[in-house]
Amino acid sequence: MPTTPPPARPAPPGSAISVRDLRKSYGRNEVLRGVTFDVAPSEVLCVLGPSGSGKSTMLKCLNLLETPTAGSVVVGGVTLTDPGVDIDAARTRIGMVFQHFNLFGHLSALDNVTLALRHVKKVSKAEAEEIGHSQLKRLGLGHVARHRPANLSGGQQQRVAIARSLAMRPEVMLFDEATSALDPELVKEVLAVMRELAGSGMTMVVVTHEIGFAREAADRVIFMDEGLIAEDGDARELLDHPPGTRFREFLAQVL
Amino acid sequence: MGRPYAASADGTRVNGETKIGAAVHDFFHTFFDWSEIAGALPSLLGEGLRNTLLIAVLAIIFGLVCGMLLAVLLLSRRRLVRLPARIYVDVFRGLPAIVTVSLIGLGLPAAGIRPFGRSPLGYAVVAVGLISAAYCAEIFRAGIQAVPAGQMQAGRSLGMSYLKTMRLVIVPQGVRNVLPALTGQFIVDVKESSLVYLLGLSVGQRELYFIAQERQAASYNASALVAAGLCYLVITIPLTYFVNWLDRRMREGRPARAGAEEPLPEPALAEG
Ligand SMILES: Nc1ncnc2c1ncn2[C@@H]1O[C@H](COP(=O)(O)OP(=O)(O)OP(=O)(O)O)[C@@H](O)[C@H]1O
Ligand SMILES: [Mg+2]
Repeated sequence: MPTTPPPARPAPPGSAISVRDLRKSYGRNEVLRGVTFDVAPSEVLCVLGPSGSGKSTMLKCLNLLETPTAGSVVVGGVTLTDPGVDIDAARTRIGMVFQHFNLFGHLSALDNVTLALRHVKKVSKAEAEEIGHSQLKRLGLGHVARHRPANLSGGQQQRVAIARSLAMRPEVMLFDEATSALDPELVKEVLAVMRELAGSGMTMVVVTHEIGFAREAADRVIFMDEGLIAEDGDARELLDHPPGTRFREFLAQVL
Repeated sequence: MGRPYAASADGTRVNGETKIGAAVHDFFHTFFDWSEIAGALPSLLGEGLRNTLLIAVLAIIFGLVCGMLLAVLLLSRRRLVRLPARIYVDVFRGLPAIVTVSLIGLGLPAAGIRPFGRSPLGYAVVAVGLISAAYCAEIFRAGIQAVPAGQMQAGRSLGMSYLKTMRLVIVPQGVRNVLPALTGQFIVDVKESSLVYLLGLSVGQRELYFIAQERQAASYNASALVAAGLCYLVITIPLTYFVNWLDRRMREGRPARAGAEEPLPEPALAEG
């Protein structure tokens, strides 16, 4: 059982993400109680933990979809928790993939991918569609570019959502249980995309219950419990020789 | 006193068919007198329909635009932004339309505020539009709130601002949610355009109800009112079907659905 947060050590130079003593409360409920970690460029970090341990809240603090109560978040050298920061500009460099895809329901797959390109990056329509098509093709979705999300399978929808994020050329990708809402037979196609992305050198923070994915694709694993990081270490080592009892219990449950 | 129906029932029995025949004739003569209707039609269709549509269409547009702005204010996280919008909506939904139309159409000119000169039509558009805006605001607010929170999160995570996400993602889907509910409001606007009669209309400005009511007063025959009623139905009933059609089209999107059933291709990335 963790009792104290790790002491705030200085961030290693050149970290892609650097989180210091991150805290988040909803009213009196302190959901994050001092979370500190770093992610190196091209590192793939898997975040494990029981339901309610604060994984989603932590991930949303990394692009400030949730405003931390205290602590600092630095992504790509920009301190997001600084008051004057241009958060919209910072978010274009941080892709996020959601459990329920959150595709824009009124737009085709292609328009989902090009919307932010056109309206945030101010790319011309023709150029945005070129980027969109190549991004969709890359994820095996070339033939569904004109389809609405409602007419796509869950796996296709999640891949469109990944394409939508990648089209912005982010430096970092955040995944919040990207496969939890999918039928088992569709999980594979999304994990394949994520594995490939990990191999391509993308910096990734992946909240997941897929221990297999963590073992194969992750460099590092952190285990969250009750708003704190209980374990933090090399993925294989940690998963093959789980140190704490809570972590062992957790692994026994999800495996 | 006491048995008002008994007498006529007895009378009917005594006098038989002639009395019934006379009553039926009177009834049809009062409501469906062909020469009355034919006499009213030229000005109803020429002048009346045009002015009714003019007031209604402009009021609907006014209501939609102001209603959407109000809805965005109603959804603000800041109380000071929400509050004025809230008060506006409560006031204009709470007043009888006839009071609002009088206040604006009779009150404003009396106070020396005459943006539309002496034409009552402009005041009617504003009054009906202001009322419509209050109702539209509540309809839009409900529709926007029904859009899942994940849509806003997705928009923001891509770097779009709150207002940009509202405009490009939330509002378009919110509006789709409430198209059928808006139809009801459009119909109300068409009907409330008739309240302009309160402001007094000269020839050329008259709308359906005013024309019909003038003729009724002159001839003591309601047939022109029936004709005007039919004109309202000719506007409101097709309107309902038009919006339903629009609703279906938006829901289904463009007809490209064939590929939905195609087998899933292997993700290209997996091969790399
Ligand atoms: N917007 C919110 N308001 C209040 N409480 C919240 C809010 N979001 C999350 N919480 C609470 O914070 C705690 C952590 O939630 P969080 O979603 O981060 O957990 P999680 O680890 O992602 O769990 P899961 O595996 O079920 O997704 C929970 O107790 C939850 O009830
Ligand atoms: Mg979660």
